[in-house]
Amino acid sequence: MSEFGPTVKAFLHQLILAIFVVIWLIPIYAMVINGLKSEFDVTSTPVFIPPLHPSLTAFAAVWSQLDVPLLNSVIVVIPVSLVATFIGAMAAYYFYLLSVSKRRSLNFMSNTIFSLIALATFMPYQAVIIPLTRIEANWGLLNTYGGAIFAFILFYIPTAALLMSMFMAVLPRDIIDAARIDGSGDLRTFFRIVVPLTIPGIISTLIFNVIEMWNNFFIPLVLFNVAKQTLIPVAVESFTGGYGTLYNESFAAAFLASIIPLLIFIFLGRYFIRGLVTLGTGGKGAV
Amino acid sequence: MATLEGRSRLRSILNKAALVLPTAALSIILLYLVLWNLYYSFTNWSLFHSIPEFVGLLSYAQAMSTVFFRSSFVHSLELSGGLILVGNLMGMLLAGLLYFVRSSKLRTVYLSIFIAPLAISMAVNGVIWLWLYNLQIGIDWLLVRLSLPALPWLSSTSTAFPSMFIVAVWAYSGLAVLFYLASFMGVDKSLIEAAKMDGVGTFKTFFRVLLPNSYQGVIVATALLFLFSFKIFSLPFVLSGGPTNVSLQTTVVYMYYLYTTEFFAQSTAIATLVTAIAAAVVIPFALLGLRRWVRRE
Repeated sequence: MSEFGPTVKAFLHQLILAIFVVIWLIPIYAMVINGLKSEFDVTSTPVFIPPLHPSLTAFAAVWSQLDVPLLNSVIVVIPVSLVATFIGAMAAYYFYLLSVSKRRSLNFMSNTIFSLIALATFMPYQAVIIPLTRIEANWGLLNTYGGAIFAFILFYIPTAALLMSMFMAVLPRDIIDAARIDGSGDLRTFFRIVVPLTIPGIISTLIFNVIEMWNNFFIPLVLFNVAKQTLIPVAVESFTGGYGTLYNESFAAAFLASIIPLLIFIFLGRYFIRGLVTLGTGGKGAV
Repeated sequence: MATLEGRSRLRSILNKAALVLPTAALSIILLYLVLWNLYYSFTNWSLFHSIPEFVGLLSYAQAMSTVFFRSSFVHSLELSGGLILVGNLMGMLLAGLLYFVRSSKLRTVYLSIFIAPLAISMAVNGVIWLWLYNLQIGIDWLLVRLSLPALPWLSSTSTAFPSMFIVAVWAYSGLAVLFYLASFMGVDKSLIEAAKMDGVGTFKTFFRVLLPNSYQGVIVATALLFLFSFKIFSLPFVLSGGPTNVSLQTTVVYMYYLYTTEFFAQSTAIATLVTAIAAAVVIPFALLGLRRWVRRE
């Protein structure tokens, strides 16, 4: 490679990177521009050309189908991810207390619990859908807010507990010990000392869970799906078309479904990314 | 004195219980659901046998002997195996390119772009790519303008699965890029500086210094690419408009299909199989990887 001068090499480096970045952006670019097309644009332009006559007609057309699912997603996802993060963080602190203990049996127990939480986080949750549907049917939760909330809590508390237990592993042990010697109860220590010290971790866990829950398609598909009473990813799927569907409506629906997670990703993306890094590496590695 | 000590002990136990009980209760429910699957997978419960009877491994044999199971299982293996291969290569390549970007701000922006598909619902990604694969107004429009042959994408049984694989590469490669970049950034800067001083080129530095010191990136990228791709459901569901398209069916989609057609026992048998495969990957990864990496801090 020595025959290339440094400027040529730097140029090639930028060029190759730029090509991949553009390829990666094309689908998102398509989502953003095509929702703004008029009916005339749809019949006369492909998906790569920006709208010649920008209009909001497609958004107006899909809004009546998506207003309720969007609101439902906000109602279900935001409170549930807050609750899941806090409950997971509490369990993670208990887990921290176990792992700093010197008793061997407790250490074995904490390894077992850690494996179970990891399994619950990563396993294909679709696998337990039959028993879960039956439980929810028996309890009268099927196709209710309660049913969607119960499923999300069930599947995302392990994620929160796993993430928080890795964020808490770096808690300075002497501060915790000092608080406990002072006779502060564990709950009190959790709220007064652990929570303030792990705020960035809590935000990461929260953001990660909001995005994951918001984007979940399978849970509402099976458990919360009667006409408009569903969550946004399922509602968008009904715009995939068949013959006669105009593509501006598909893209407008896709855009409406993605705007909240994308805005969170644009402004708070580093928290989401830190969540992902921690999920894979236990928090080591700084990007 | 004794009662006081007893009382503080009780208080400590109650405190700990309050911390862990909600999660413990939900974990027990989750475990119950998995065991429930296991129990019913040994019965013949279906639309035709509404009262389940114990039949041993018969439902496993029935579910796994169908052509549909085999093709869906092969699809899952191809999807996961292919994504591990291509994802790792993309991860090395793109993370390598990102590592040598001088401005850290620009590097973060580029990295975010590669990860962005993971922040969008896979159902939405499916809707977008359905139109990109449209034969008149999608990628083919571009190919025809460039005088390249147009491809049938999702509308032909031979190209449908590779087309979905491309979407999966686009959606999930960001994971590998992230973990490789994290590994590269963790490599001792003095090694890179020393290589630079010795006049070692960028390519050599990448292959001789960065890659050999990034074994963690390989392990994490591979484990997470497998775990994410093994549960891919929305992409085949949305790209084929339901769970019935045989050329896109993955194992979890086929499992869902058996459930909707009320072959409950067979569906639970596949569910148990899927859970066991996930456990075989997650548990070693959690104990030998995550747990130790956390402790080292």
